[in-house]
Amino acid sequence: MITGFISLISSGLIALGLVFWIWGTWPLVGDRSLLFKLHSLSVSDTLGSMLIIVGLLLKIPREWPLLVLALISLAIWNTVLGYVLAYCSTPSPRNFRGSQEVRHRG
Amino acid sequence: MAELIIITALLPLTALMLVTQTNPYHALVIRGILGAIAALVYALFGAADVALTEALVGTMLSITLYAVAVRSSMSFRLGVLEPGDEVLPEAIATALRQGLQRHHLRLERVGYGSEEALEGAIARQEVHAIFQSSAPATVADAQDRSAQTSAASHPPQLHIRLPRLHSLLQGELSPELAHLKLYES
Amino acid sequence: MNWILVAMIIALCIPIYEAWQDEDIWQKMLAFGSIATKTSIMILVISVLRDDWMIGVVGVLILSVGNAGLMLLAHVLRRLNQL
Repeated sequence: MITGFISLISSGLIALGLVFWIWGTWPLVGDRSLLFKLHSLSVSDTLGSMLIIVGLLLKIPREWPLLVLALISLAIWNTVLGYVLAYCSTPSPRNFRGSQEVRHRG
Repeated sequence: MAELIIITALLPLTALMLVTQTNPYHALVIRGILGAIAALVYALFGAADVALTEALVGTMLSITLYAVAVRSSMSFRLGVLEPGDEVLPEAIATALRQGLQRHHLRLERVGYGSEEALEGAIARQEVHAIFQSSAPATVADAQDRSAQTSAASHPPQLHIRLPRLHSLLQGELSPELAHLKLYES
Repeated sequence: MNWILVAMIIALCIPIYEAWQDEDIWQKMLAFGSIATKTSIMILVISVLRDDWMIGVVGVLILSVGNAGLMLLAHVLRRLNQL
């Protein structure tokens, strides 16, 4: 009875995570700006993946150290990656100064 | 069983995507995607060690090394005189940059102190090309030149060392902007 | 349980298509990041389905280290536009 209930909850969590994945990845195909896509992707990817892992955790609690490690690294890395991509893709205004390009030699 | 076949089919699909890329930087990103898919396929067939090696060496290390290698090799090194902003006009730099971008090259300026150093640099094959403006070197020369009103009759010169680069840039740069010359030592 | 994998394959195909059709390098990087996360989660799901601890360890390692390569590549590409 209890195990059936837990397996139902975990299946529901995984399905919810999959819905998040597809819902957040879909705007990637469109013609929107990079930051819009990055926002929807980082929210849905991180949340969806975490929901899937929690679902797996309920299904097999025996492997909890592994799955908790995955949960933590997912939360940290995906957030940092979002920041890094946004920072690197937007050029800083001084990039267009020509004098920066000259390398002094000889 | 069906999903096994579909996941495995993604591997040749991304490999095809990779070999059809022409821009080296796009190819690097697609190589990363190929590595991720390959690690998934290897893990699916139970080869955990191969998957780990593919992800760490095949994807992370090789992409970083290739990115650095491509970035440092696919550049057009242009020798200019030291105060670079005045010597190389922005119009020529923009035209050059656009022409090179079509062939996935980037423009890199190297500053030199004097005309002799510039000549020496191209003779020692330090740079691919040097830019020599028709600007006067001496005061007397300057007065002589200011008498001539049309500057277009003396366009600045671009000495290019490599015949391939010379032929690539021939169609990209208009002759009145800069005169292209093949450098002969 | 196989329906999970089928739905994941569908979600995985969207960024692959995006990486193929978009010419902007940062959009490709975005698709790459999405694919990297999705494949490592798929490896984790496979390891749980098969009850194979070893594959699970590999999935977690790829999840935590694979993104570092992506960040390095992003910084190299950024410096590329600067020069």
